[in-house]
Amino acid sequence: MPGLVEATILLFRTQVARVWWSRRTLACLALAAAPPAMAWIIAHINTRIPPAGIATHLGWLLLVQIVTPLCALVCGSAVVTEEIEDRTITYLFSRPIPRAAVLLGRWLASLVVVSVVLGLSAWLTTAVARSSPVAGAPVDDRITVPLLAAVWIGGAVYSALFAAAGVIFRHPMIAGLAYAFAVEGFLANLPGRNQALTVQYYLRSVIAATGSPEWRHVEGFATSKFETLGVATTTLAVVLVVVLALASWRISRKEFVLSA
Amino acid sequence: MSAVVTARDLSRWYGPVVGLVDVSLTLESGIIGLLGPNGAGKSTLLKLVAGEIRPSRGAIEVLGRDPFANRAHFADTGFCPQQDALYGDMTGLAFVTFLLRLSGYSARDARERAGRALERVGLSDAMDRRTREYSRGMRQRTKIAQAIAHGPKFLIADEPLAGLDPVARRGIVELFRELQREGLALLVSSHVLHEIEELTREVVLLHRGRVLAQGDVQGIRALLSSHPRKVEFRVRDARRLARAVVEMPGVRGVRISADGTELGVETSDLDGFLGALPAIAASARAGIQSLDTPDAGLEAVFDYLVG
Repeated sequence: MPGLVEATILLFRTQVARVWWSRRTLACLALAAAPPAMAWIIAHINTRIPPAGIATHLGWLLLVQIVTPLCALVCGSAVVTEEIEDRTITYLFSRPIPRAAVLLGRWLASLVVVSVVLGLSAWLTTAVARSSPVAGAPVDDRITVPLLAAVWIGGAVYSALFAAAGVIFRHPMIAGLAYAFAVEGFLANLPGRNQALTVQYYLRSVIAATGSPEWRHVEGFATSKFETLGVATTTLAVVLVVVLALASWRISRKEFVLSA
Repeated sequence: MSAVVTARDLSRWYGPVVGLVDVSLTLESGIIGLLGPNGAGKSTLLKLVAGEIRPSRGAIEVLGRDPFANRAHFADTGFCPQQDALYGDMTGLAFVTFLLRLSGYSARDARERAGRALERVGLSDAMDRRTREYSRGMRQRTKIAQAIAHGPKFLIADEPLAGLDPVARRGIVELFRELQREGLALLVSSHVLHEIEELTREVVLLHRGRVLAQGDVQGIRALLSSHPRKVEFRVRDARRLARAVVEMPGVRGVRISADGTELGVETSDLDGFLGALPAIAASARAGIQSLDTPDAGLEAVFDYLVG
């Protein structure tokens, strides 16, 4: 009988192509097109903002705060839910594999899609911002690399959270939207240590610790105190592992009742 | 013979909806037919046997194990579910191969076994086509192929003959018999009596979540034949026909509608009644327009059994 790692790899390899060509990926691509499109509009219509300003503001306010959780929600919530909706989960759950492999294999497949799509969006946003004719701070690696790190780490943590929501809740999309925008959006903008309860706070810490001073002009970066890079990444890694472990435990015990 | 399935006081409900109530049974090896009208609880029982759901109350053992989420159980059983769902973007061969890989076979062995299983269900010509291009019958056969490909000891099949044309159905019936001869135990559900009769004489009758009867299908048929059966006529003159048929052997009663154009007859010998009817009807000259035996279906059979 295949163990957890072997079954996870098998499922990942089979599911990555299925996830890649799904409608959810198209939805992610549409969402991810927004930041570069906005960057182009701002760079060529509003000619007062310098390239670094376009990249940092759009990168944080639109890409990391909105597009990243939304893409992660679209793909992450489908990790288990899609198999239930397609009524194919029976085939996977009637095989002698650890049930957690279904969650982990499909989550990894979704993570590849989320990472490629968000990475492309971040890279395009900074590339388009560079084309702004306004003189000012340029878009350098200390803007691009922290942004890429934030969308990749954020994509991983959020997609794991929403994959877990797909195991626990009947309507993970609604639960995920409520979490990403009501809970995180609220807590992340409260003053004080409440922010430390959000993923956004640690993503902001990653950028603040590694990014150029241009990031300080973005709302929320100048006034707050942040964690070090080590603390931020460790905390997010712990959140990711704990969430996946809880979801794995839950999926091993939960019944998935399908209609005929 | 050793018990393949043992259920004790097994109940299962979905919120307020009752699926199965206090079912206790022991199923031995061979082919067992699980028979009942839609909503009888067949799929619920099969899902419990397959380890897809847990009992709300009571206990079930399959091949000596608690089946729910039990990997050893899944290695020894094959499950052909009722839902008409496959991975549409995969070919039949890729689908069965993928599931065999999850059963622990190497890529090469899985492909070989998948090819053999698809050949056994008559899909060797179509195995390289995507399953979304398959007809309902082909999808049904693919589901059976994935359930037998890993060489299980026990096959659980939920309505496996549904959607098959007569030739394919014949083929699957033959396949199931062949699997039985190879030593496989099979639990096969259907709501069509003759489908099950083609397969086996051993049946479990379910109705409204309860086991009504278990045993030889002929015995159950004999039980049914002792109950009166209804024959309904639309007729020009119901009273004239009633006078003619009321003296026929086996007729237990007649009912005439208020407008005199409908006649209901209850008989304990339906075959004898229908055999003698043409001569009686001709002499009565009552003008029969239509005839129906509304309780010949399985649901009516169950209605009789539950009184």
